[in-house]
Amino acid sequence: MPVFNAYFKVIKKNLPQIFIYLGIFLLLSILLSNLNQSTSTTSFTQSKIKMAFFNDDTHGYQGDSDVVKGLKEYLAKNTELIAIDDQVEKIQDALFFRNVEYIARLPVGFTSRFLKAEKDLQIEKTAVPGSTSAIYVDLLINKYINTAYTYLRVLPNISPKDLSRQVQADLLTTTDVTLQSFDTYTGNTQSAVYYYNYLAYSLFAILILGVSAFMIVFRNVDIKRRNLCSPVTLKSMNLQIFLGNIVFALATYLILIGFSFVLYGNDMMNWNGALFCANAFVFTLAAMSISFLISNLATESSISAVTNVVTLGTCFLSGVFVPQQFLGDTVLTVASFTPTFWFVKANNTIGSMVNFSQENVSQVGGYMAVQVGFAIAVLIVTYFIIKKSRRTKS
Amino acid sequence: MFSHVFVYRLKSIIRDRQLVFWTLMFPILLATLFNMAFSNLSKAEEFVKIPIAIIDNEAYQKSSTLKTAIAYVSEQDNPKKNMFLVTLTTQAVAEDLLKNNKVAGYIYVDQVAKLVVKQSGLYQSIIKSFLDNYNQSSTTFAEILKRDPSKFQALMADAENRGNFLKETSSTKNKPDTTVNYFYTLIAMACLYGGYMGMKEIVAIQADMSPQGARQNLAPVHKMKVLLYDLSAALVVHFCTLLAVLAYIVFVLRINFGDQIGYILLLCLFGSMTGLSFGAFVGAALKKSEGVKIGILTGVTMSLSFFAGMMYVDMKYIVTKAAPIMAYINPANVITDGFYALYYYDTHTRYFMNLSILAGFVALLCILTYLILRRRRYASI
Repeated sequence: MPVFNAYFKVIKKNLPQIFIYLGIFLLLSILLSNLNQSTSTTSFTQSKIKMAFFNDDTHGYQGDSDVVKGLKEYLAKNTELIAIDDQVEKIQDALFFRNVEYIARLPVGFTSRFLKAEKDLQIEKTAVPGSTSAIYVDLLINKYINTAYTYLRVLPNISPKDLSRQVQADLLTTTDVTLQSFDTYTGNTQSAVYYYNYLAYSLFAILILGVSAFMIVFRNVDIKRRNLCSPVTLKSMNLQIFLGNIVFALATYLILIGFSFVLYGNDMMNWNGALFCANAFVFTLAAMSISFLISNLATESSISAVTNVVTLGTCFLSGVFVPQQFLGDTVLTVASFTPTFWFVKANNTIGSMVNFSQENVSQVGGYMAVQVGFAIAVLIVTYFIIKKSRRTKS
Repeated sequence: MFSHVFVYRLKSIIRDRQLVFWTLMFPILLATLFNMAFSNLSKAEEFVKIPIAIIDNEAYQKSSTLKTAIAYVSEQDNPKKNMFLVTLTTQAVAEDLLKNNKVAGYIYVDQVAKLVVKQSGLYQSIIKSFLDNYNQSSTTFAEILKRDPSKFQALMADAENRGNFLKETSSTKNKPDTTVNYFYTLIAMACLYGGYMGMKEIVAIQADMSPQGARQNLAPVHKMKVLLYDLSAALVVHFCTLLAVLAYIVFVLRINFGDQIGYILLLCLFGSMTGLSFGAFVGAALKKSEGVKIGILTGVTMSLSFFAGMMYVDMKYIVTKAAPIMAYINPANVITDGFYALYYYDTHTRYFMNLSILAGFVALLCILTYLILRRRRYASI
């Protein structure tokens, strides 16, 4: 099979480029799966906002006064207090990059005005304007001061220490929260979802690069003429090219899903894992037929540009890099004309699936069918393009 | 002489379609994709009224304090206190609403108010905190009455007396909107893509790398003069492409770069020079084929952009905190930081610091390139 062998000689020459995409992909997925260590949710956990706390009211006290200490202890329990240097630029940087989402600063004279229960006492806060986390911390701080003020107004003789202790004790009373799980999966498939969504990017890039690398060589007019006068029939030649494409695509597919088993082991050994693999397989078919189409149109100088435009474009629109729920409706409508969109949609559905009823599985099956549809439609288009170009050249 | 060399280099660069794609079309394309993908991202943080359900049973109707409190935070015409979107309903409907994510949680009153949710989260925590508030006040009342039973009247009078003790102050002129940083790194990347042009000029002047180089070396013109003319042609083209990309991002995509146009253009100019001299240096220093050099340039540019936060915005902050040196020697980060400083800070100290770092890069890279190229002979090619 000379053509088939030549196919892999060309691929071998392009291995460095292919490894770059593979390397970037693996690095990203390892990085992201570490970032997204989701905690299992069997009981309700209260959100803790990262905040910074500064006290300017230190004059006349040794460090923080009892009142400030009490407030700070309370905040330490209900938020995540982050220490930052009290420099304007450092604070601004921390807020911009969300290292803290809320900054509270107690003004000079806070303690004495607090103990007089002054109504116009004000703490300076800096937060992302209109953000949910800011509203939450507002609620927490106001609650503390209002409770303390009730004590101060009704029992004016209470000592600051007693007050802090009592307010904190009162605020320990919490509401009973029941966590109702309606059959939604709470396991750790989230990392696998990220992995498989990102797979769309590298698989697509590798397939376009590999398939085009070969086809560009074989579409060279001189080589084509030489091949046509060889004693290999056109049918056999096309079959070998087809076989080469299939083997190359399958190998890429197997390597990529192989890594998912290495990285996520146990989380893949279930029905979710099987569905991920099946979904990735149909996506491979769609990506391969699109790569084949591109390889029949692109030239050597334009191929890297086309690869980047197609892969980055489809991945951004389809919610590979930014989750689909954050994308606008128009973007998603445009994206639904690419197989990547359906691939990502199926992955997200598989990831949250716990009940493998016929209804649920057939929903995912539908998404896969769309991808197969893309594969077939693009192949047909490619066939006509090849046929047309053959006619015009002869 | 200058105008002759300059004009022909200009033509040569503009006619290189691949070069135009990478320096002009690719950043524009990426900016468009960023814009589509990130336009809703900052909205995810924004507070929207939390939909909740309350089970309308006898116990709820009796607990007048909770009813007042709920009414207070769900007033339609008071946007400041308006936190919840309340549905009063039956147990079965509430379950159903929760299951279909129509509400963040539902409240039912038994002896005390309780909350049922589907998952842990910020909205759920806010509802809980609100209910805590209500449940905690009864604890406080009980504690005070235990200490001094005569205070019942005073307590009742004080019940409505709740205030807000937080004053919003903003330390910066612009919102801390993370998405703008993606576009700043994008411009930084476009600046460094000038490296392709810088490298092209180096290839075009060396006799062993291109036929143009061989021809140029025959001409009785000082080589460094020719290189200088070549690079100024590249600078003109690259600066213009940067302006086009910038104009697209600012006027079409409407991304906020602040309003200090002069400073922004100056930063672009320095960024462009950094990119060109970087490419020139890589082109001169490496004795490899053009393909390998381009691969290295692309790889380095992408890594630098990654560490400046182009793929993951927090990266910039992580690097700055963990290894500040890495942030200062990364030109992509320095350019990004310059735009960030203009957008976010009131003063220009940091901006000028970034500008001088870039000037340092340009000087260093140019000197190195000069040392490599000077007195090189091409005896046989």
